Amino acid sequence: MDYYTDAILRALQLIITLDQEVIQVVATSLKISITSTFIASIISMPLAVLIARNKFKTKKFINIILNTMLSLPTVVVGIFVYSLISRRGVLGELDLLFTPAGIIMGQVILIIPLITALIRNIIFSMDEKLYKTAISMGASRSQKFKLLILEARYGIIGAVIAGFGRVLGEIGVSMMLGGNIKGVTRTITTAMSLETNKGRFAFALALGIILLSLSFLINFVTYFLQEGKNYARR
Amino acid sequence: MLEDKIIEVKNIKKICRGKTILDIDQFAVLKNKFNFIIGGNGSGKTSLLNILSLVEQDFRGEIYYKGRKINKDEQNLALRRKFSVIWQDPYLYRGNVFYNIALPLKLRNIEQSIIDKKVREMAGRLEISNLLEQSAYTLSGGEKQKTSIARALISEPEILFVDEATTNLDEESIYFFNSHFADLVTDEMTVVMVSHDRRQIKELADQITLLKGGKVKTTKTINDFNFELFGAGIETFIAELV
Repeated sequence: MDYYTDAILRALQLIITLDQEVIQVVATSLKISITSTFIASIISMPLAVLIARNKFKTKKFINIILNTMLSLPTVVVGIFVYSLISRRGVLGELDLLFTPAGIIMGQVILIIPLITALIRNIIFSMDEKLYKTAISMGASRSQKFKLLILEARYGIIGAVIAGFGRVLGEIGVSMMLGGNIKGVTRTITTAMSLETNKGRFAFALALGIILLSLSFLINFVTYFLQEGKNYARR
Repeated sequence: MLEDKIIEVKNIKKICRGKTILDIDQFAVLKNKFNFIIGGNGSGKTSLLNILSLVEQDFRGEIYYKGRKINKDEQNLALRRKFSVIWQDPYLYRGNVFYNIALPLKLRNIEQSIIDKKVREMAGRLEISNLLEQSAYTLSGGEKQKTSIARALISEPEILFVDEATTNLDEESIYFFNSHFADLVTDEMTVVMVSHDRRQIKELADQITLLKGGKVKTTKTINDFNFELFGAGIETFIAELV
C-alpha cells in the first residue's frame, strides 16, 4: 500500500512544483494536439456539410467508409503515414519522420473521420427551415454555410473537443511517427509508456493524473455545451 | 398582358418520391397586386410558393421574371434578394430579436448605422420594440411571427411571399396581422399569399387561384367573385371558385 501512496504523493509533488520535465512533456503534447485538431477541423467542417447537405451517387458508400474509419486503430494510421514519410516513402524527402509535423499528419488523418462524422450528424439533424429561411433572406452560398456553422456552433465545438480528446490520449501515432524524442516529440502518452518501463512510476503517474484531468475538463466543457444547446432549444 | 405579370411559370412539374405533387401548365403573379393561392391540404400551395420564391430549385419547368426566363442553374442571388418569404412556422436563428430582424440587411452588407435605424423603425411598426434584446428562443408564437414579418419586410422586397402566416397563431395575433398587414405592405410591393382566411381574401385579394391535386383549378380576379358566399363555409367558398 505504501508503494501506491508514495507514488501518488510524489506524482502530486511533481505537478504542484511544476516539474520542468513534466511541463515540457505536457506542453509538447498540447501543442501537437491543438495543431492537429485545428487542421482536422478546418478540413472536416466543409466535408461534413458537403456530405450532409448534398445528394450524390456515392454518398451511401462514403458514409459507410466514414463510419468504419471512426474505429480506426491508431497503429494502422501510424503504419500508413510511416509508409508515406519514411525515407523510401513518397513523402520521404520532406524529412517528416520523428518530427512533430509527422505526428500532426498522422493525428489529422486519425481524427478527420471522427470530427466529420459528428458534424455531419449535427448538420443532418438540423431543421430544414434553417436552409429555406437563409435562401429566402437572400444568402449567398458562402453566407448559407456561415449561417449553418453559426447555428450548429455548440455541436461543432463539441465535435472538435471530442477530436482533441482522441488525439491527446492516443499513443500509436505519436510513438510510431514521433519516435519519443525528449523535448521534441515526447508526448504525455509516449512519456508515460517510456517512464513506466524505466521504473519512474511516479513521473508516469503524474502525467497520468494530468491526462485524466485534461480528459475530465474536455468532457465537462463538452457536456456543458451540449446542455447549453438543449437548454437554448427548449 | 406581359407587363402586368411579374412572375410567370410554365409547364411546372414537381415530383416527390415518385408522386407528382405539382403539375401546372401556366400560372402568373400580377404585379403590385395581392395574389392569393388557396386549396385543400396537399393541393401544392406551399410547393408552388417555394418555386415562385426561388427557394425550391428541384423541379421541372420554366420561370419568367418580367418576361425574362430565369436560368435555374444560376444562383439568382440578385433576384432572390428582391424577394422575401413569411413562413407559417418561422425559423428564427440563435440570437436575439434584433439580430434576426437585421439578418437580411447584414447579408446585403448594409452599413451598421442604417441597420440599427431600420430595425428599430420596423420593430416599432410591429410593436415589438420591447423584445429587441430578447432571445428568439423565448418568444411566443405571435411574437415569433411578428419578428419574422419584420425580417421579411426590412429588405423592402419587390415581391413578398406569405405562406399561411396566421394558421398557427392565437386570436389576438391573427387580429393584429389582419389589421396591420395591409399597412405594412407598400403600393410598389407584389404579394403572393397562401391563405384560407376569408377576411384576408375579402379585404386584400386582387387575384385568387385555386389549386387542386397539384393543378390550377381556376384563377379569378376579385371582381368576378360573389362576396355573399363569404358568410358560408370554406367549402362553399371554394365551390364558388370552381
